[in-house]
Amino acid sequence: MRVLKLWRYPTNWAIFRLDDRLLLILMAIIVGNCSGVASVILNRSLLAMSGWLHHFRSHWWVFVLPAIGAALSCLFLEKIVKEGAGHGVPEVIYSVSRYGGLLRFRSSFSRLISSCLTIGTGGSAGPEAPVVISGAAIGSNIAKYFSLNDRQRVTLVGCGAAGAISSIFNAPIAGMVFAIEVIVGEWKSVNIVPIAIASVAGTEISRILQGNQIPFGHHLFKIDLLNVFACLGLAVLAAAASILLTRMLRSMHTISHKVSGPLWLRAAIGGCAVGIIGLFLPVVLGEGYHAVEALIGGRYSQGLVFVALASFAKIAATALTLGWGGSGGIFAPCLVIGSLVGVTYHHFLSVIWSSALWANEGYYALLGMAGLISGMLQAPLTGIFLIIEITGGYEVILPLILVSAVTTTLCHYIEPASYYLKDLVEHGHLLRPGTDARVLSDLNVPELIERDCIIVKQNMLLRDFIHIVQKSHRNYFPVADDKTGNFLGIIHLDDIRPYLFNPVMYDAVFLGQIMNTRVEVVHPNDDLLEVLRKMDVKGLFSMPVVMNNRFVGLISKATILDQYRKELMVQTSH
Amino acid sequence: MKLTINEVARCLRLPVTTVDRWIRQGRIPIQKSSNGYIVNESALEKWAAMYRLPFSLPKKINTQLQEKRLENLLPAMDRGGVIYGIKGDDVETVLRGAVEKMQLPLASSKEKLYQCLLEREHLTSTGIGKGVAIPHPHDPLPDTFEKPVITTCFLEKPVDFNAVDDRLVFVMFILLSPSIKIHLHLLSRLSFCVRDNTFVEFLKTYPDSSAYFSKITEFENILDRADNS
Repeated sequence: MRVLKLWRYPTNWAIFRLDDRLLLILMAIIVGNCSGVASVILNRSLLAMSGWLHHFRSHWWVFVLPAIGAALSCLFLEKIVKEGAGHGVPEVIYSVSRYGGLLRFRSSFSRLISSCLTIGTGGSAGPEAPVVISGAAIGSNIAKYFSLNDRQRVTLVGCGAAGAISSIFNAPIAGMVFAIEVIVGEWKSVNIVPIAIASVAGTEISRILQGNQIPFGHHLFKIDLLNVFACLGLAVLAAAASILLTRMLRSMHTISHKVSGPLWLRAAIGGCAVGIIGLFLPVVLGEGYHAVEALIGGRYSQGLVFVALASFAKIAATALTLGWGGSGGIFAPCLVIGSLVGVTYHHFLSVIWSSALWANEGYYALLGMAGLISGMLQAPLTGIFLIIEITGGYEVILPLILVSAVTTTLCHYIEPASYYLKDLVEHGHLLRPGTDARVLSDLNVPELIERDCIIVKQNMLLRDFIHIVQKSHRNYFPVADDKTGNFLGIIHLDDIRPYLFNPVMYDAVFLGQIMNTRVEVVHPNDDLLEVLRKMDVKGLFSMPVVMNNRFVGLISKATILDQYRKELMVQTSH
Repeated sequence: MKLTINEVARCLRLPVTTVDRWIRQGRIPIQKSSNGYIVNESALEKWAAMYRLPFSLPKKINTQLQEKRLENLLPAMDRGGVIYGIKGDDVETVLRGAVEKMQLPLASSKEKLYQCLLEREHLTSTGIGKGVAIPHPHDPLPDTFEKPVITTCFLEKPVDFNAVDDRLVFVMFILLSPSIKIHLHLLSRLSFCVRDNTFVEFLKTYPDSSAYFSKITEFENILDRADNS
């Protein structure tokens, strides 16, 4: 019985009396392992799926395969687990911003299955975002089980994401940087330490299960100054490709919404289109890791026009898959598009200046990948570390940093919010810790109400009111109806100063006559941002809070500043 | 001592809802377990200092509240006593006579007190009308007086004090207080009494001290009732 009780209330365990950081590190190991296993499972099932479907590749009707896969994944998400399509990373960021990282338990497996269906049948999408959401959901649910608080839960969500990325790419630093840069958005040691531990755990579990291998093999490149400068041109090209991909994804999304019919049918249409493209350019199908490997290794022997066409085709296929309702991420497509763009650029350079000693095309493919990742995610560090780790090519670090920096800047110039954050920013849901929006969304009106106001009655004489003024500490006096007690208006001392010193008025004026009835009021459930906007527009310093026609209290800028400052101090300094 | 969540909120001068939210969000070192909150007082104090948040334990708040209750007229008047038959024809001699007869904690401060009162009198008269004057130093004298003192001085014959209504002054309340706040508090109560014409008429009968103090008690009761209503 006692054991049972112990399991029901894990917060009573002695371990929770331990240091907060130690506890988080222990949790991070568990979360990192779990999400690492999740990504290994997805990886394995994708391999199994492609092996199983390999026999159908020779048939003429092969182009309907992606359609079937996308439709099935869409049906699964919509009917069985009741979750939205898409890649899920914005959902994780949203829940981190708004709900302290609360995620549903079913999110920890739903995207794995749906993305496996989409990608395994040839849809152009990546398996990384699905494992990120799975890992994040695993972290969130472990935190929920142990009833950890919001901050700890957010850290564990980051741990899950870090473990997933580390495990799927065998890249611990990239996982860690991605989780902090994109998911958590807060560079603090309380986050960094557990997330780093989770990355280690995730990578280790994947190495145990699948062996330690660098995903795309290591190649040596000869890089001179000319090639370093040439990468700037590639950065521009990569930025253009990321912008094109972002725009295409969004426009496909809007177009698909105009098509009437069930969601699965839309997904099937998108999948079918991808299948048809795939008939002519098989490079666009699936997550495309083989293509990336071939491109880096310089084994992709097609000419300039063909590679350029393939880049466009991959962009279109990705937009068709994800925009029309397939399930998967943009990580892997970005790598493929990046390497295609890089090789295109290399071919282009060789054509216009064939006598120069260009580095081989693998070098440019690598830089292109970094450019696309940095441009799409607008997360330069993730791009740099990911490419270095998955290719094992530390010697390209200098041009890599250049390309990442330039691409991020250019993309940020044209698209101020990255692909992940765009929707969130548009709806005002991106609330990074320590920002104005975050503080305002955390504070709410009931916390700011000052209740020490003296409510006066409508039919009170000015003489009686003056006695009340003598004893009060405030300049505002809400006026209520004598019978119903409803809020009628407010008296501000500034407004009635002339009457206060005129004894003739004392017995001649009722408060109902001198109160201000046209006041802006606030409801306790109002958004603080909205309240502040009203105050700014009308130049008010205080507003009455009224609920169900009753005066509740006063909200003033002075109290807001006081609380705002405390909130900001607690949120930021560490 | 174990703090409750309400006490923590009071210590931090925050609404309870904010403290509750901070616990949920993990911003404050208070843990929530199945049987309530676990508050570690010293950790909380350290945390508040780190974030530079105001934090004071409830004990201190209580003492502050006690300080807030200011003394009323009667104890101050009792301390100062009533002096009858001050001789003199002008402000200076009357004041000097009064100061000489007053019982001060230090004899040497009499000259200084006289100078202070005179200085204030030069600024503008303290005769507030109806034959009453309230001489007092311009600045409080916290070194000399720990508690406020009001000495009631009845003059032998009315003196021209340059009062606002040009009436001759027959009674002075020498008001000495350790702080401006107490000074204003007592001045306000005293002026409430003087505003009443019956009180001034009563003073003109040169009452003995017990009758005088009981009259003051009456007025104090009226004032207290008005404050509490």
